[in-house]
Amino acid sequence: MATDKVKHLDCVLESHKIRKEQALLDKHTAKRGEIKEALEAKYTNTLYAPFNSGSLAKNTAVNTKFDIDLMAPFKRNAFGSSGTLEDMYENVYKFLYDKYHGKEAVVRRQKVSIGLEFYADADGHVVKIDVVPGRELNQGEYLNDKRLNLYVYEQFGRFEKGADHLRSNIHAQVKHIRDRAEAERDSVRKIIRLLKVWKIGKGSGPKSFFLELITIKAFDSKTITGDIWEKLKTVLEYIRDNAKTVSLPDPGNSGNDVADTMTDSEKSWLSSDMDTMLTNIAASDDMIKSYFRINEKHPCPEEKQENRYGVKREGASNPPANRFG
Amino acid sequence: MNLTCKDIGLRLEVENTLLEQLYNTGMKHYPNEFGGLLTGHYSEDMKTCHITGTLLPQKYKSSRYYFERGREGLLEKLEKLYHAEPRSIYVGEWHTHPDGEKGPSDTDKQAMQTISDHEEVTISCPVLLILATSPRGYTPGFYVNFKNKLYEYE
Ligand SMILES: [Zn+2]
Repeated sequence: MATDKVKHLDCVLESHKIRKEQALLDKHTAKRGEIKEALEAKYTNTLYAPFNSGSLAKNTAVNTKFDIDLMAPFKRNAFGSSGTLEDMYENVYKFLYDKYHGKEAVVRRQKVSIGLEFYADADGHVVKIDVVPGRELNQGEYLNDKRLNLYVYEQFGRFEKGADHLRSNIHAQVKHIRDRAEAERDSVRKIIRLLKVWKIGKGSGPKSFFLELITIKAFDSKTITGDIWEKLKTVLEYIRDNAKTVSLPDPGNSGNDVADTMTDSEKSWLSSDMDTMLTNIAASDDMIKSYFRINEKHPCPEEKQENRYGVKREGASNPPANRFG
Repeated sequence: MNLTCKDIGLRLEVENTLLEQLYNTGMKHYPNEFGGLLTGHYSEDMKTCHITGTLLPQKYKSSRYYFERGREGLLEKLEKLYHAEPRSIYVGEWHTHPDGEKGPSDTDKQAMQTISDHEEVTISCPVLLILATSPRGYTPGFYVNFKNKLYEYE
């Protein structure tokens, strides 16, 4: 029997709900709090309040890969008046490395962040948190303009290694997606979450921020209606047709084009991925299952289909007197 | 309105006019709580509960924070509904939370469990409607007691 695509996608979303992994989420939140405190203790006078900037803050998280980001906003002169972004990045890296590496976590340098992967606990849970150091543009201005420069440790897209022009207002980014998602009544969030599920299943793909922005752009550019499959299909078509040329201004800094986080060949691959996917699903509904996989850890219970309002026996009820509060 | 309890896959249908009626009844007792029985029927596949009416208690006690529903006279009315054409049956309970939340209190959860377990109740999944009321309007919360747990419909 052909797959009911809507039902399948509903199940994909349901099985990836964050609250199904509440215990793991709680551990992430606790660790993030601990790291935040450690940073605040170490950089008492040079750090503004660290804040959360990952998908949890944007309500677009999926439970198979938590992207928990902690932004650490430093003062302009935190590493000396001639201190560089690299000095900032390396200083934070060294601090986290000395504190956690080999003791309870693996600490590594990543594109613009420092990744902490904690050892599995007794439940087999692994907590992963990315710390993103950023520096205000001018001394004392952060609290007003919320703008930060990030250090690019590793080349990605058109951003060269060592570049220091990746500046953004992360608060505005989080707000952009939140506001938008609210206005579109969940559809945007659902599509973003499905695209993340697709990316995680494939093992590679554009960064989440790119997927978020291109989804929002699709909603801005096309009429997106119908059931969840019809909406997803329209967005996939939009990505297929526009991935190579689209411009995705960073809501935190319109001078940044988030499309630049992908190289031209990565964009071509993305477009052809979408093309193949759409062709295959059009040929056979069942193919949707291999692109958008249910999280087998939390399958949508078949039993659910069996649930019924129960009747114990024939006849009228005689409900007991009762007290309600 | 049509609601689904996603966690267990059961559905609920209720007319807005009935909700209006319950709200108006509740407001006659405001700021005290008030409530009664919900009557209706199940769909053929037993997956949807249609709430179609209410029976109000003859005897009750209430304050701002509790509502005690008596049972006097209700069985006769429920038997009449049971033998009517089309048949209606007891499907659950409703009460107001004046100036309160639509969520169930621990007392409410306990009451629903007592009802599920009660010998003289012939259904096993009674529905609970809580109307959070104020002079400005109301917010309904719908719940079902299924296998010893109260689930909310969305
Ligand atoms: Zn109550």
